[in-house]
Amino acid sequence: MQQEAMAREGSSGIPAAQFRQGSALRQLWATNLEVFQRDKMALFGLIVFAVFALVALLAPQIAPNDPLIPLKDANGDWISNTLPYWLAEPGEDLEEGYTNTFLLGTTNIGRDIFSQLIHGSRAALLVGFSAAAAVAVIGTVIGLLAGYYGGWVDTILMRAADVAFGIPFIPFIIVIAAFFDPSIWNVVIAMAILLWRDTGRVIRSQVLVIKEQAFVSAARVSGASNLRIIFVYIAPSILPLSFLYGSFAIAWAILTEASVSFLGFSDPETISWGFMLQDAFLSLALTRGAFYWIIPPGLCIMLTVMAGFFIGRGYEEVLFPRLRRM
Amino acid sequence: MSKRLIRLSLMITLLLLMLPAAAQDMGELVPTITVHSVTQAERPIEYETTRLVVENMRELGLDVEHRAISLLQFFDETWYSRVEGEGRVEQPFQMTAWRMVGRPERSEPDEFTYNLFHSSVRDGGYNFIGYNNPDYDALAESQRVETDIETRREIICEAQHVIRNDMVNAYFVHPLTPQLVNTEVFNADSVVTEAGIGVQNFWNWINIEPVGDERNIITATTSNLNVLNPLEIAGDSPSRVTEIVWDRLMRINPDGFPEPWAAESVVWEDDTHVLLTLREGMTWHDGLPVTSADAAYSFEAALAGKMKTNDDGNEFFRAEAQDYYPFARNVMDIEIIDDLSLRLTLETPSGAFETSTLSKLNLIPKHIWEPIMNDLIADDGADVDSIQEEIPIGSGPFKFVAYDVNEFALLASHTDHWAAPKADGWLMNVLPNLEAMLGQIQSGEMNLLWEWPSDPAVLKEIADNNEHLTLFTETSIGFQYFAFNLRYAPFDDVTFRQAVAHVIPQQFIIDNLYSGIAAPADSFVSAALQYWRQCDAPLRSYDFSIDGARELLASAGYSWDDDGRLLYP
Amino acid sequence: MSRGVVTYIVGRFLQSVMVLWIIVTLLFLLFRLAPGNPIANYIDVNFTREQELNLLARFGLDKPLHEQYIVYLVNLFKLDLGETFSYAGRSVLDILKEDLPNTIYLTLSSLLVAYGVGVLGGIAMAALRGSLFERVGTTFTLMTRAAPTFWVGMLLLTFFAFQWKLLPSSGIGPALVRYRWETEWDKLMSPVFWRHMILPTFTLAVYLHGLPLLLMRSNMLEVLDQDYVTMSRLAGYSEWRVMIQTAARNAMLPVLTALTLGIGYSIGGNVVIEVVYSWPGLGRTLVDAVQESDYPLAQGAFFLIAVIIVIMNFIADILYSLLDPRVGASAQAQVS
Repeated sequence: MQQEAMAREGSSGIPAAQFRQGSALRQLWATNLEVFQRDKMALFGLIVFAVFALVALLAPQIAPNDPLIPLKDANGDWISNTLPYWLAEPGEDLEEGYTNTFLLGTTNIGRDIFSQLIHGSRAALLVGFSAAAAVAVIGTVIGLLAGYYGGWVDTILMRAADVAFGIPFIPFIIVIAAFFDPSIWNVVIAMAILLWRDTGRVIRSQVLVIKEQAFVSAARVSGASNLRIIFVYIAPSILPLSFLYGSFAIAWAILTEASVSFLGFSDPETISWGFMLQDAFLSLALTRGAFYWIIPPGLCIMLTVMAGFFIGRGYEEVLFPRLRRM
Repeated sequence: MSKRLIRLSLMITLLLLMLPAAAQDMGELVPTITVHSVTQAERPIEYETTRLVVENMRELGLDVEHRAISLLQFFDETWYSRVEGEGRVEQPFQMTAWRMVGRPERSEPDEFTYNLFHSSVRDGGYNFIGYNNPDYDALAESQRVETDIETRREIICEAQHVIRNDMVNAYFVHPLTPQLVNTEVFNADSVVTEAGIGVQNFWNWINIEPVGDERNIITATTSNLNVLNPLEIAGDSPSRVTEIVWDRLMRINPDGFPEPWAAESVVWEDDTHVLLTLREGMTWHDGLPVTSADAAYSFEAALAGKMKTNDDGNEFFRAEAQDYYPFARNVMDIEIIDDLSLRLTLETPSGAFETSTLSKLNLIPKHIWEPIMNDLIADDGADVDSIQEEIPIGSGPFKFVAYDVNEFALLASHTDHWAAPKADGWLMNVLPNLEAMLGQIQSGEMNLLWEWPSDPAVLKEIADNNEHLTLFTETSIGFQYFAFNLRYAPFDDVTFRQAVAHVIPQQFIIDNLYSGIAAPADSFVSAALQYWRQCDAPLRSYDFSIDGARELLASAGYSWDDDGRLLYP
Repeated sequence: MSRGVVTYIVGRFLQSVMVLWIIVTLLFLLFRLAPGNPIANYIDVNFTREQELNLLARFGLDKPLHEQYIVYLVNLFKLDLGETFSYAGRSVLDILKEDLPNTIYLTLSSLLVAYGVGVLGGIAMAALRGSLFERVGTTFTLMTRAAPTFWVGMLLLTFFAFQWKLLPSSGIGPALVRYRWETEWDKLMSPVFWRHMILPTFTLAVYLHGLPLLLMRSNMLEVLDQDYVTMSRLAGYSEWRVMIQTAARNAMLPVLTALTLGIGYSIGGNVVIEVVYSWPGLGRTLVDAVQESDYPLAQGAFFLIAVIIVIMNFIADILYSLLDPRVGASAQAQVS
């Protein structure tokens, strides 16, 4: 979290990260292992993601009902505004001609909230991980190129980062979403266009340090090409940093997707947690006191976003031990 | 963009696949149909209804897309996209959820009978669906000039049958408008409800009587309040303001019949001459007296316009006040007799003139509008609807205090008015957020709720839980329906439209979306207008049946391909 | 102020101007991507071809793209943002002028609360490091940062506005009060306005307090390790005096920079909260304008938000270089 603030303060405020030596993949593996071994919170985050990934994968098997099709009772009427079965008065459902098996009740038009919640994890993880991957890859490549080559390459890329820092994020996504067909991919594209800026700046400043180190000079002397030096010698050392920014990007992407859906710029045929909250808000769930509809999607968003934060912090503490002191 | 590409390539593949089918002499695939509605935020029930009907239409083997967009954009893609090749949007609309709201002047059946379906108002007027039936035109015209009420009723019955049999519009409900009044602020006995309208009527605004410290009527709307102009009909909410700021020669009374208002007397000298005498002592809100010259000018402004040339080189007349021109068009001559009286000469006799013209046209001050209109006629680009007076001046029972576009309109009692309101002020806020509206009506920040586009059951419950709120319900003369663009295939085919009508689950919509608080609709004349519904034969019914719809299509030669997609005959 | 610092500031300023110019250009291109004719929603169905051409000329849309671009730049320079489509006969600037102050009040008040709480909280967390309180507190702060603001807003609305009816649910005040506010000053002097600001301010502060708190906490931990802090301890000053006077003062500097940046980002990020609370600010206007295809208004609001962000980024840079001489030097190296 601190890193994210520092990235915005300009490259020079960022402390040098602690890096390992040795074979590229092994270092990366070792760092990852250390993160999840020493930091229980990061491990917790990882588990949360694993569980949600499993839920997303098996959504059609887990969800008892279709998330979009209204449920109907024996008379063919919608089973709407039903309390969760553990809150409802027993017997009420049978009078109306259905059996209340709804863990989280139903919406005003008889959709099963629990099934929506399960299916919503798909949009969240899809957006979260693809946006994070895009941000991390673009940011890393730009940071590597700018840091290694310096000169006009650096100037152009860093001015581009300044521009990206000057464009308001949420308004940008809203405009993109409005100009193209509503889709969850709008969020991913907009994030890829703008959010590489933090990653790019930080990685650039680390590359500035690493490229002065002996093993890089040695590679250069031995006649390795620039691209080889960048991607084979330098890149593995800064990859943990990309993971750090990637983890935060997952969190921001999930939050952003929720906000954009809530504002009504998402595809109404794709269930996401943000969409559920918009639906609840517009369908007067607040006035109806339908907390079983409002609280669960918010909690899911919070949980996944926190998972991203925890993992990011785990990396932060391993890479920047200075922040660790307790 | 890519979606379109995918769709295109899919279509091409389909066409290729269909080649062998074509050899078996089968028709073309019915193309993708777009059904428009407003977003869930703005009109939840309309949105959900459309969703439901779109689902059912898919059962017929149609590829249907539900396009839910915000109100302004919605009008652009429907009302303003009637004909192909206007160069504004890619396609004219095909089918859309629509509503006609109940307004006092609409309790006279002429309004809907003529304006919704007469072929002369196809291009710019209310007949946006493009209905063009000479037989119907003849009926609509004859009910207009018929002065015997019994005969007129029979004509209007026949007109309803024609529209129903042709399935011009697929009506589904007349909402039972649920409304709340804070009866701690107002004397419950002073509330006036109008047949088919409810509490948001002129008579209520002037009659409702505050009993405590709160002396203002405070209400709200969810829709835009973007222009307040006596020569423009900008929508439901602006109309609420214009009808009380600008007086009219006659007003529709709570029973639905016109009565003299700013005109003290309305005397028909013969079928085409009417003598109007204004009340004495009326003043504009700026203090000047209301004279017969102003009244005459109000007609002249509505009739003003100029000749234009269209792209094909044909000359045509273009009125400045597009919305009011149709109501004044029948006036051939205006003769000012003295300060307070004037005589109108009509081109043709009209049974509905008092309702559709005298009760509709706003009286506007000549000293303010003459210069504005002269400028407009001189300037080519501008239109009367781009005019917004800083402080609008009328002569109605309420006068302007403040107005903030799309935020609020605040009015105060025009105490010099001969029928000055009992309340001191009138305020309408724009509150797009329904939760906020419910919060305000319960807390007393708002004391009269007349517009409710969401679940009626919620209002009912709120009335039950709050002693200070009283619920009023009234069958609306307005209605909800699906409108078809009759100009283009597949909706140019009556059988196709009838099949679509069969997949609208009317009773289900009433039970589930309106919580039972709505009346089934089958005509443009509401059950609230009892007299005009007394027809000899009942209107044709379209029972909900997907199988029935498929049979109907099959009998008209429609067929289905191997994948179950509907093919033209 | 040394010559080096002045050169740095001038350099940074020129850079910001350039960045703004690029953003403005991108904005121009972005809005040309808008589906359909940019004035499609403005044209009346009854318009003749001639009127349509007149209108295109009025908005300068009849010229080739590069000429349109130049007209657009010149107009921006003159602060002429064009006419709105959805508000009869009003200019974009006119609408934005009303919205901007509301957004600024909300941003500043929420940042003030958030940074006040954040700084104090950060000091407390640092002082009580390792304790249960600290662990629970930090986790709670992370939770508030992970919760979607609109959701927090919905929950607060439910209880404070709808259930307990303690606070107003939306807007900046009833119209009956609002119409009497002739100036911004009248508005600021009105208790009604402040009452309406409580819930949105609090909602935003719940989210915003996390960054300063965590930043302050780690800065404090770092500063507490420094020699001069150890010196003050040895000098026998009380622990609280060491904490507040010596450590906190030094740990504050980066937090101040973050605050400056926060102003810019909050103005662009308040959108969702402005919608939940129907707060008549820039963000809500932007969302409405986009939904109603009022492109000139959307473009204008976007432009204004971008200008504020760029200015705040510039100020933050300068502030940082002034507060931390090390940065000044290396930053100069970057510019030259």
